[in-house]
Amino acid sequence: MRGWRTLFPNAWYVAVREFRGRARSRSFVIGTVVLALISFAATQIPVLIDVSMNTSLTRVAVVSQVPDMPGDALALLDSQLNGQPKDPPAHKNYVISWQPDGGLPAAQADLQAKQYDILVVVSQDGPQDVQFAMRTDSPQDGRSVQTVTSALYSVAIEYRLYKAGTSIENIQKVPTVTVASVNGAASSTNDLSTEVSTSLLSTGLIVLIFMAIVTYGVWVAMSVAEEKGSRVMELMLNATTPLQMLAGKMLGNGGAGLTQYGIILLAVVGGLLAQGPIHRAVVGTDSATQFGGLSPAVLGAFVVLFVLGFTLYSLLYAALGSLVSRQEDVQSATSPLMVLIMAGYFMSVAGLQAIDETWVRVASFVPFFSPYLMLARVSAGHVEPWEFGLAVVLLLASIAVALFVAARIYSAGVLLYGQRVSLRQVLKAARVSR
Amino acid sequence: MSLLIDSISKRFGDVQALDDITLQIEPGEVFGFLGANGAGKTTAMRIVLDILRPDSGTIVWNGKLNTELPRDTWGYLPEERGLYAKMSVLEQLVFFAKLHGVKPKAAERETREWLERFRIPEYADRRAEQLSKGNQQKIQFIAAIIHDPQVLLMDEPFTGLDPVNAALLKEAFLEMKNRGKTLIFSTHQMETVEELCESIAILDRGRVVVGGSVREVRRSTGRQMVRVAVQGDTEMAWLGTLDGVRVTRRGQDYTEAEVAQGHDPGSVLKAALSRGLEVRHFEMTDPSLEQIFIEHVGQIDTSERTLAPKAARA
Repeated sequence: MRGWRTLFPNAWYVAVREFRGRARSRSFVIGTVVLALISFAATQIPVLIDVSMNTSLTRVAVVSQVPDMPGDALALLDSQLNGQPKDPPAHKNYVISWQPDGGLPAAQADLQAKQYDILVVVSQDGPQDVQFAMRTDSPQDGRSVQTVTSALYSVAIEYRLYKAGTSIENIQKVPTVTVASVNGAASSTNDLSTEVSTSLLSTGLIVLIFMAIVTYGVWVAMSVAEEKGSRVMELMLNATTPLQMLAGKMLGNGGAGLTQYGIILLAVVGGLLAQGPIHRAVVGTDSATQFGGLSPAVLGAFVVLFVLGFTLYSLLYAALGSLVSRQEDVQSATSPLMVLIMAGYFMSVAGLQAIDETWVRVASFVPFFSPYLMLARVSAGHVEPWEFGLAVVLLLASIAVALFVAARIYSAGVLLYGQRVSLRQVLKAARVSR
Repeated sequence: MSLLIDSISKRFGDVQALDDITLQIEPGEVFGFLGANGAGKTTAMRIVLDILRPDSGTIVWNGKLNTELPRDTWGYLPEERGLYAKMSVLEQLVFFAKLHGVKPKAAERETREWLERFRIPEYADRRAEQLSKGNQQKIQFIAAIIHDPQVLLMDEPFTGLDPVNAALLKEAFLEMKNRGKTLIFSTHQMETVEELCESIAILDRGRVVVGGSVREVRRSTGRQMVRVAVQGDTEMAWLGTLDGVRVTRRGQDYTEAEVAQGHDPGSVLKAALSRGLEVRHFEMTDPSLEQIFIEHVGQIDTSERTLAPKAARA
């Protein structure tokens, strides 16, 4: 087991070769461009939704045959259909034309002439109530008909309360709503929306780590198997030590993977930053996108856990990659690792719903799962600094062990050729290899 | 000041790949490893290179254990040939040289010089996958020597080469020998060994069955060969009746016979003359390496001759 002291510069040369080979390949270039474009496009989906929302326009004519309808019924209907008035004024999806009883024939003619989409006739239903008659060519279970219908409920309720003697001020008064947590402690007013955005963010970051390990870890295994398959490995064996090769492959492939990742993330961040201007240009108003919950602490924890997690898993990928003779066999050889990765991923997804459960806390220290689970806990903000520190130390320790074991398996594995290599064979060979 | 392979044993599972091998190879010598497939040649080379560790025994070069020597002491041309398919010839040779600590500039100069010597200077910028097998083999040879190693180990370097390329490679051998390098290679081709090697070892099932200088090995049997041709008698039936003489090959040019130890080869000539025959050709020689090989190992065939399952062979 020599070569610990002489890791560089050979590991660096190997890394540079791996990086270049990877980055020059057509699949890498095309993959990066396509993924970056898709990511950028994905960030503009909210704009698209807003565009489709904002360009829809339903013209509603309301003919009131009720003489004592309260004067603010139009404003009530408007706020029900278009939401509370905004500053600056936003696009309104519904335009309402309120007309007295005598306007009915003209309104009917305009409906025929498609000047209006919906005609609503409000009439008396007994002394204390109103009823509505709607005429439209819009689909009866369509969104605009549904929305107008529910808005009309409010109008009816207001009229009933008014007739029952409640003052308009009382009807319109905003009720007091207080929110407290279960055990009575004060709780921030915005809790729900923050929690939703935090859990979305945690899920997003966990998926990022998961994708990187699965995609780029396989690259490491592939590159080992490729060298073995082309037999250039035998030339390499005399030129380098297994440890130098192992380190170089991880650096090179990891670097290429992170480069691709970085470009995609840049596209995402650029897309998010461009969202505002694009939104303004297309829709005319600002978008409501926010980076909720992404604090520097969470970002820092993400980077640390990402790098350590990737290192640990790619070491194992390299070791497993050295056991097969052909690239075609990489998939099956690395499937046990895939199970481990998936287990961590699903645990963390489940753990997000139960972030304070004991099993989540315990699992967040276990090296193979900590990259996911500790990250979930950090982004939920339920972690003591020493807990994070402990998880990192345990990860580092397991990387050291994995490096030792992987280098052994690797130096034995690269010399073994055959259809299937059993674990027993490898362990036997690893014991006697240098 | 020599390469000492001292009492090396190596076991793969149930198979004794090398069984107490001891050899001494002098610096500047061309040394041939002979043996059927699976005899242990590749394993022996890998142990010398410290790619594999032996179960017991040591390798010493110039008084130093191989585990303590820098890797650039050795140049290795593996039997299984492979290059980085997508890299250009120059690029990968510079890469291999850099791994051995050679400066890129010097590596490029050396590469171009060798490509010139192999008469393929225009291939420097081609990708390896665009080259023919023979040309790839030349590139691998350059990869093995680009860092100017003291000892060059080559596993079946002549396999798969056409006569023209084989001649080029032999020239390269001589060039390396002239530079004072020690050359060790394994082969099946006995003519190549007799042409190039000063010393040999014949391996069979992990043991050295005979070793030493080519001359010593050829004399080791104590037998002599005679080649006789007489006018008007290609049959020479009388040869077989002589005491201690056995006909080994009949040909148009001459008939070859083996004279057992303690018998005088000259008696064959006397016998011919006493029969009044006109002798056109008479030659006394040592048995050829091929004969010695067959005697010790059996047929020279390319079929597998190993006790090891394929996967464990290394």
